[in-house]
Amino acid sequence: MKSIALILSLLAGFCCFSQNKQLLYNFTEVPQSLLVNPGADVAYKYYFGIPLLSGISANVGSNSFSAYDLFANNGVDFNDKLRNVIEKSSNKDKTYINQQLELFSGGFRVGGANSQSYVSFGVYQEFDFLMYFPKDVAILAIDGNQNYIGKSFNLADLNLKAEVLSVFHVGFHKKINKKVVLGGRAKIYSSGANATSTKNSGFIFTGQSNTSPNIYNQIIDSNLELRTSGISKFNKDEYDGSIPKDLLHNTFFAGSLGLGLDAGITYYIQENWQFTASIIDLGFIKQSKDIETFTYKGRYQYDGVQPNFSSIDEPENIFDEFEKAIPRDTLYNKYTTNRPTKFNASIQYSFKEYRSDQDCNCKSQETRKYRNAVGAQLFAMTTQKEPLVAFTAFYKRSVFEKLDFKTTYTFDTFSNTNIGLGLSGTLGKFNIYALVDNVLEFKDVSKANSMAFQFGLNFVFQDPEE
Amino acid sequence: MKLHLKNKIFRILCLPLLFISCSSDLDFNQVDDFKLEPIFVGNLVYFDVPANQFFDDGAEQAIAFDAQEFDVFKNKFFKDNLVKAEFNFEITNTINRPFTISLILLDNNDQQLQTLRYEAPAYSGTTTVLQFNEIFQNERLDLLKQTTKLAFLINLKAGPPLNENTTGTLKLRSSATAYTEIK
Repeated sequence: MKSIALILSLLAGFCCFSQNKQLLYNFTEVPQSLLVNPGADVAYKYYFGIPLLSGISANVGSNSFSAYDLFANNGVDFNDKLRNVIEKSSNKDKTYINQQLELFSGGFRVGGANSQSYVSFGVYQEFDFLMYFPKDVAILAIDGNQNYIGKSFNLADLNLKAEVLSVFHVGFHKKINKKVVLGGRAKIYSSGANATSTKNSGFIFTGQSNTSPNIYNQIIDSNLELRTSGISKFNKDEYDGSIPKDLLHNTFFAGSLGLGLDAGITYYIQENWQFTASIIDLGFIKQSKDIETFTYKGRYQYDGVQPNFSSIDEPENIFDEFEKAIPRDTLYNKYTTNRPTKFNASIQYSFKEYRSDQDCNCKSQETRKYRNAVGAQLFAMTTQKEPLVAFTAFYKRSVFEKLDFKTTYTFDTFSNTNIGLGLSGTLGKFNIYALVDNVLEFKDVSKANSMAFQFGLNFVFQDPEE
Repeated sequence: MKLHLKNKIFRILCLPLLFISCSSDLDFNQVDDFKLEPIFVGNLVYFDVPANQFFDDGAEQAIAFDAQEFDVFKNKFFKDNLVKAEFNFEITNTINRPFTISLILLDNNDQQLQTLRYEAPAYSGTTTVLQFNEIFQNERLDLLKQTTKLAFLINLKAGPPLNENTTGTLKLRSSATAYTEIK
């Protein structure tokens, strides 16, 4: 129990928001920015990421509570803290975890030295979890129904999905002319485990009226469904393997397969005005391995025990009646899940032409490089309910020729004071980047509702300077 | 110059890696204090017997009896977590004869565990709702948890004779309040 709490709170502590990679987006000094816009204006002769270290990101966000709210060592009873969290949360609040780990990645230019067509590819592993706060169910669990006569506890509040998958991808982007870069990426998903319970409905109701013969009018109307793939064998009694090992194997070699597409564009309205847009993970997974779907569907009215004195009757059995009315069914049908699709767009204004500190800058450059850029970004992601939307203002600066800095200010449902800092530097061929979200929360991470970091190491080879 | 610059770049890049943040004092052992105490209410027993049911084949029926299954405590949740229970009964007699209502709690072997007995005086022109309250804690609660059947016994007591056309009903409504504690 303690370790679960520790993990949960660590996740909550390292909170950061969703897959909004506002720092990475259009940070074209980092090759991984192609993963958030396959049409990003990234140029290289070839590059490869250091295996397992080229792209590490973790995001955890919860807009209803922080680790501090639950675990502060402040003398307040834990159960009171729990009650406070439940009371101040709503069924629109969500807890989000996204983690990605790039196993390997690389890219190369196709065509001759003057070509501006690029291929990039890689494999990464991803874990996704998004749960809405089940407010009504939590209240029922903590208080019971005694003080909620007349209230309908909404079972639609139960809404979550979780997935572990690996993604194999190949992308292509081309600078068509001075103004336009177009790119696309094809993805094959392999899902090792999926749990989806997003289409629940129903209610638990206790009412009281003078017209009803019984004291209470009690109804459970249930339309609950949990679909799983790749999980059921771990629940079997006879299973004696290692879950992490089997899960890893399934994720990479024996998962449910799916297909997806990314597309993106960079458009230079003028030399110093740039517009970009991308759509990421437009795809689906056909969940087909080790499927198990549980349903509780039906309606039950509870009237208590009702003796019948006038005739001999079969005694009624309350729990049997209940199980007959709302049976637990297990189904084994394949199902399809949509990937959370992300949309990004940005507008950027660049100013102050770059002048190198270095002694020789004799070669006249074909395209000018600017020292500063400001702009705005929009992010949206589909979820089980309404989409997540975030708006970002950013400032980018080349500190030195090979050191770039980006800072972002993001408004979203998790925070309206999210300041992010990112740095990318290149030492010779060696590129290192570190992007940290929500830096204001660093003064006390335990109180953070969301934070994110991304980090990676690459080798990037450009054409040798003549 | 170039080397110096590279060193500078490297140092700046290392900064975020050394970014050490602060955290308030957290105590994860608090999870051990986790305890929920939800209180649930529900219907318990209901009947509404018309007077003519106590008159059959030209004779008064002095006794009415029925037994019903009561399998709430087959449910592990209630068996393990119930710390106190309260039964509330409302009896309304609009028949001009007095009754005794007995509720017998039986175990799996039909052994009598407890009997709840209530007197309902004869109707005298004004409807009165009698209220009775039973609290189950400690030993009494343990007996309740062994209950698997409820038997109901109504005794018709002496008074003006009944016939097919006697009006009124003997009504019982009741609710249970379950105090649970989940750790």
